[in-house]
Amino acid sequence: MAQSTDQLDTHIQIVTPENIAFRYQVAGPFRRLPAYAIDLALRVAFSTAVILVVVWISDYGLGDIGEAVWLLLFFLLSWFYGGVFEAMWNGQTPGKRWTRLRVLTFDGQPINASQAVLRNVLRAVDAFPALYVLGLITTAMNDRYQRLGDLVCGTMVVVEERKSLFGVTRINEPEVIRLAGYLPANYQIDRELSRALSAYVERRKTFSPGRRADVARHLSEPLRVRLSLPQGTDPDLLLCALYWRTYLAEVDPAAAPGPSSPQAPAAIPPVSMGVANDDEIRLAPPIHLRR
Amino acid sequence: MNVTQLLEARRKNWHELDEMCAKMESRRQRRRLGAKRIVQFGALYRAACADLALADAYELPPNTVHYLHQLVGRAHNQIYRSRTFRVSTWFHEAFMVLPQKLFLDRCMWLSFSIFWGTFLIAMFLSGHWASPFPDFAEALLGEGMLNQMKEMYAEPVTRSVGEGGGDGGGVAMANYVHHNAGIGLNCFAGGLLVLPGIFILAFNGTMLGAVFGYMSRQEEWDNFSRFVTAHGAFELSAVVLSGAAGLKLGFSWISTKGLSRSASLRNAGKEVVPIMCIFVVMFVAAAMIEGFLSPSAAPYWSKKMVAIGSCAVLMFYFAVLGFPKGIVVKESPLATR
Repeated sequence: MAQSTDQLDTHIQIVTPENIAFRYQVAGPFRRLPAYAIDLALRVAFSTAVILVVVWISDYGLGDIGEAVWLLLFFLLSWFYGGVFEAMWNGQTPGKRWTRLRVLTFDGQPINASQAVLRNVLRAVDAFPALYVLGLITTAMNDRYQRLGDLVCGTMVVVEERKSLFGVTRINEPEVIRLAGYLPANYQIDRELSRALSAYVERRKTFSPGRRADVARHLSEPLRVRLSLPQGTDPDLLLCALYWRTYLAEVDPAAAPGPSSPQAPAAIPPVSMGVANDDEIRLAPPIHLRR
Repeated sequence: MNVTQLLEARRKNWHELDEMCAKMESRRQRRRLGAKRIVQFGALYRAACADLALADAYELPPNTVHYLHQLVGRAHNQIYRSRTFRVSTWFHEAFMVLPQKLFLDRCMWLSFSIFWGTFLIAMFLSGHWASPFPDFAEALLGEGMLNQMKEMYAEPVTRSVGEGGGDGGGVAMANYVHHNAGIGLNCFAGGLLVLPGIFILAFNGTMLGAVFGYMSRQEEWDNFSRFVTAHGAFELSAVVLSGAAGLKLGFSWISTKGLSRSASLRNAGKEVVPIMCIFVVMFVAAAMIEGFLSPSAAPYWSKKMVAIGSCAVLMFYFAVLGFPKGIVVKESPLATR
């Protein structure tokens, strides 16, 4: 059974039945506002279209039926629009789909039809007394941004991001590769360090050179001492070199210009992968895809 | 094998899962996928789950981990989908379980007492039974509204059943659904905060009672009673029911019976949805009668028959089906898990 555990800022963690923990970003009221606006616009547009049809068919003496249909539609739209869509579209209305939001239960499961209907009928309380003031207060008071309707149904709105995969950030600066050659071959980079390195390298492109040195200094200074590199080694370069050796070295050894140093990167034995050695990676479930 | 090679090896599968997610999200494309591809989707999902689980061991870079988190999340939402209504469970819930629960429900009795209490008091105070406050209805409703009421019922209802005319039956019905069911749903929603729910109940009870009492003193009483008799039972009961459902929500977070407030609220939320369905159905039935039969010139006895019939239905549902028979009320099949 899925269960939610600790929460980091607006990200909540969900454990699936497959026993995998993954994170969702919960959507706050202002993230939800555009979706609401889109839905409202759709409802208004639809009602207007129906009014036009009613006006048109009233010339043929069908005005009463048209008006009756319009009133019923208006009733259904104002109370059950969201509920029906969320039940049918797996927790999404057109506005939510457009803005990539989705309603899930408290513990990351899909909502059922009654939850979908109830949380939308209870919109009336959240809109109380005007402009969703009560809803705003309620969302501010809990860490999943649930309005009253959400609290009653045990639901929350999450952001369904669609990021593209960037893969491993490449570094091609020759200085980095040259510096990597001077790193001691037997120095083992542990997992935490390699994670920090890749976090740094992924972001460093957005920093100015001065800022890079500023950020990198804290980590590279003790590393420089431990690796007994000369004073004045560029902090940014050092981190990049370590990163290069961890992530990139083995892939393109040809890319490394053989420096005169005896510890050329090409000669470095396969970089330690922490716990994961080759066998373990091959143990990952094989995927047999049949076309 | 290092991270880059691993990523390259996995990239194809992840992209495929990504594309299939997009297809699963659209109903039309999902139907075209076919069993084989959907089984494949499961395999790809499990593989991505495994990759995410081992992300730490593989030393995947943070943005790849982030990508995997949202990929797995998206696929998870396609595999575990919302469940739709099932007729058999709803039948059992609506006719076996629910009346039993409602009969013993304290919110039901509270809502019933508030609505009918204020209704009867207001009717008595504004009626012609030697009222100590002769101007009660005037003070409460205002001259303008009273004159409007008198005007409305000055003419006897004369339309033939379902006839079009100035205000067609269909329009009237749709109008009543929109207006009355709207009041009911507001009363329900207001109940979540207890006081607004009680206020809306008492307000409607008082107003309606005062109108009934006042009209009983006027010569338009005949026309008035011919109009309201047929649909009254369903409409007024629906107000009581909507108030009860709302108060159930409201009291659930006040008296939690040992649960946390939000858990208690969620439990109540599961229970009130069927009640909500019932009162919406009742409002629609009332509006159909009110739109087509009530304003028609059908003989008065036929309207009385409808009134008796609807009362009988209500009595059967709430008293006969609802009378405690010792049926073990099991966990609602509508519960989320």
